[in-house]
Amino acid sequence: MALLEVEDVVAGYGAGPDILTGLSVTIEEGTSYCIVGPNGAGKSTLLRAIAGFLKPRAGEVRLDGVLMNGSRPDQMLAAGICFVPQDASLFPMMTVRENLAMGGYLVNDRALLRQRMDMVYETFPILAERRGQNAGTLSGGEQQMVTLGRALMIEPRVVMIDEPSLGLAPMIADQIFEKIRGFGALGITVVLVEQNAVKGLENVDWGIVLDLGSKDFEGPADGILADPRIRELYLGKTMSKGMT
Amino acid sequence: MAVVEEREGLLGESPFRKPGTRSRRVTLIVALGLVLFFPLIAIPLFDSYAYVLQVGMLMLMWIAMSSSWNIIGGFAGYISLGHGVFFAIGGYAAGLALAHWGISPFLFLPFAGLAAMAVGFLAGLITLRTRGPAFIVATIAMLFLFLLWFDNWEFIGASSGLDLPFLQFPVQWLKVPFYYAMALCAIGAVYLAYRVAHSKFGLGLRAISQDETKAEVAGINTRWYKVWAFALSAFFIGVAGAIYGYSLTHLRPLTFFAIAVAARMVLMAIIGGRGTVAGPVVGAILIIGVNEFAVRQFGESELNIVFTGLILVLALLFFPQGIVGSLRKSGRLPAFLDWD
Amino acid sequence: MAHWLQILVLGLLLGGVYAMMASGLTLLFGVMRVVNLAHAAFILIASYMTYALFEGLTLDPMISLFVTMPLMFGLGVGLYLLLFPRLEESPRYVEMTVLLTFGLALIVEGLLTFTFTGTFRSVRPEYASTSIMIGDLFVPTSQLYASLISFALLILLWVFLRFTKTGTAIRATMQNRAAAQIVGVNVRRISALSFGLGMSLAGAAGSLLSFMFPFFPARHWQWIALLLALIVLGGMGSIKGAVIGALLLAVASAFVTDLVGPTWSPITFYLTLFLILMVRPQGLFGAKVRL
Repeated sequence: MALLEVEDVVAGYGAGPDILTGLSVTIEEGTSYCIVGPNGAGKSTLLRAIAGFLKPRAGEVRLDGVLMNGSRPDQMLAAGICFVPQDASLFPMMTVRENLAMGGYLVNDRALLRQRMDMVYETFPILAERRGQNAGTLSGGEQQMVTLGRALMIEPRVVMIDEPSLGLAPMIADQIFEKIRGFGALGITVVLVEQNAVKGLENVDWGIVLDLGSKDFEGPADGILADPRIRELYLGKTMSKGMT
Repeated sequence: MAVVEEREGLLGESPFRKPGTRSRRVTLIVALGLVLFFPLIAIPLFDSYAYVLQVGMLMLMWIAMSSSWNIIGGFAGYISLGHGVFFAIGGYAAGLALAHWGISPFLFLPFAGLAAMAVGFLAGLITLRTRGPAFIVATIAMLFLFLLWFDNWEFIGASSGLDLPFLQFPVQWLKVPFYYAMALCAIGAVYLAYRVAHSKFGLGLRAISQDETKAEVAGINTRWYKVWAFALSAFFIGVAGAIYGYSLTHLRPLTFFAIAVAARMVLMAIIGGRGTVAGPVVGAILIIGVNEFAVRQFGESELNIVFTGLILVLALLFFPQGIVGSLRKSGRLPAFLDWD
Repeated sequence: MAHWLQILVLGLLLGGVYAMMASGLTLLFGVMRVVNLAHAAFILIASYMTYALFEGLTLDPMISLFVTMPLMFGLGVGLYLLLFPRLEESPRYVEMTVLLTFGLALIVEGLLTFTFTGTFRSVRPEYASTSIMIGDLFVPTSQLYASLISFALLILLWVFLRFTKTGTAIRATMQNRAAAQIVGVNVRRISALSFGLGMSLAGAAGSLLSFMFPFFPARHWQWIALLLALIVLGGMGSIKGAVIGALLLAVASAFVTDLVGPTWSPITFYLTLFLILMVRPQGLFGAKVRL
């Protein structure tokens, strides 16, 4: 059985139009995914709908075959679905350590939390150096690392990361992607959304192309990258954008 | 944006011109006629003639005030809880002109309005540096600052107030000139709101209320638009204050500055439909009507203020777009109320 | 010199009570972006409760804290659940909450006037009219007690926010609501709790104010203007800022009263409020909080 199934989901904001117009995706355990597509295709909306920040207007979101529609974000997180939004969502007046601790808000076992925090510091040595510093004073790349480290605190089954490279220098972005690739070894299924499609696809197993609120195409990431026609059709615009 | 789109939608239905122009014209004539001849129609009610005219005057006054408030609070989306200040400026300006120079407030009306507008302009320059809730708080601070000043200013009688000479007029018809003055004021205020709503200036204000940053990017000088909207919204409130103050013959700061005065303008605009031309008119008629009914049935009591608050809360929760706004949204707004 | 010291001490004592009143208000703003214009009206509810308890049962106002605080907590949670989730969807949420609480203030004022009439009331326990001399310093007993209780409650609040898990969740929600949701904080539960907490602080303030100043239902407008000035000065949503703002302004207004008379002392608050909003719409300390 698939880990996460999204079936014919329709969703949008407030009284606004449907952004997702009947979208179906299946996420298998242990595979990493990158969702690409032009602006307004519904990439972020999909993540928000899965994470419980946006209630689908129709369709189903199933985790291990259990219907999760209408769950609150904290319930989704407790079920193992962790969402990392694109604007490094930190607590600016708390230290790095406190931010990481907040990541384990739903975990009550203190010893376990300490153990995980050590692991996060191991994965992101820079955070260990900065542990006493207020998160608001960190650089963009470091802030992104805090959000990733914070996600590890809950040891989620799936982590959905929205635009991890947004606003970062290419070198820093590469570091971030490298860390994200490491998540697989920890038994965490990664779902990425990337504006820079090539970069995103280079770092995952499977690509899903969205357009106008539904799935256009999906396939192995290297296959998509290797096929010039698909590159032109689906990645043309975003590719040139990523290069400039 | 939404407003513009909706209007386009309406136009789309009729290939020639917006439907209901005739019915709107008929409404206008009927309404004007009613306002004009109301003192005559009311003569048979001679027992309570003064009362009926008083209620009519109050209705017109609140139409003027709420419609004026709507220019900044509705069109531009800047909610002011301090518009009692302009009511007071108008009332005191006209009162002082009468008490010190013997000028009839009726002749002084335009100047009372201009005085309120000038204060509005200056106050706008300062308060409109803020946005959202900070602006609301700033307008409350403005109200209290002026109240404190007026309460302690001996020249205008401080907190005990200023006595004005009575208008020399046959006592049974005493209310008539006040009624007509207020009618003029209300018509002026609604006309102003209508003109603003249908101007490029009004479109700019709506853009500001939708998304100020975008409006700025689109080349609207948001600062001056807002300040002018604030000043314009003060004018007829000042005029209304002058007429109302004269009708009381005794001016006390609290009469004008009471937070309930400011609250009512807001309440009426919200109930009727914030940001629509007809909304404040509908709201004022409804609130004053219900209020007078309640007072006659149950007597004047503190519960009035409870009802004001309760209606405001309920309207915000269940009816945030007001009568006109909700009807328009569901496409059931009768053409005669569609003045936008 | 002794005279100035005397005024400073009186200002600081009063400032302690203001600080507690303001911390409740700023907490609500911090967690929920609600500018609660009814905060002072709720404080008055507690004052009248204290009055009723004193007149009916001769209950000491400082003891009635134990009644007003939990009752106001319950009222706060109830009001939150009843009113605010409905507004959350509104695109103009913050403005809506201002108008909504404005309506609530009117309702409370009317109900209080209806129940207790508009006349001045005050609660007069023994210590309301006594004073202590510390050296040359004259300290009214009532103000001393009120101030001590206020500071004690503020310290409790600080400990709660700093060292408990729920308190940390409240601080996290104040700093970044979206991020709090992401790490699994049930922000609606936290909001309801914070509303209750803010209201229970208002309850304590009401009990303390009842024996410090005479009160009447419309009095709350003066109080709310004062409180808004305090929290705007401190940067809305910052409790530390609110405490500092309260102490500063209370001392300032004590000196203004001494120099030009009590009539003009409220102007300290309104002018400060006005000026701060003009110069730094975000307040003096709260650089991060967007209004």
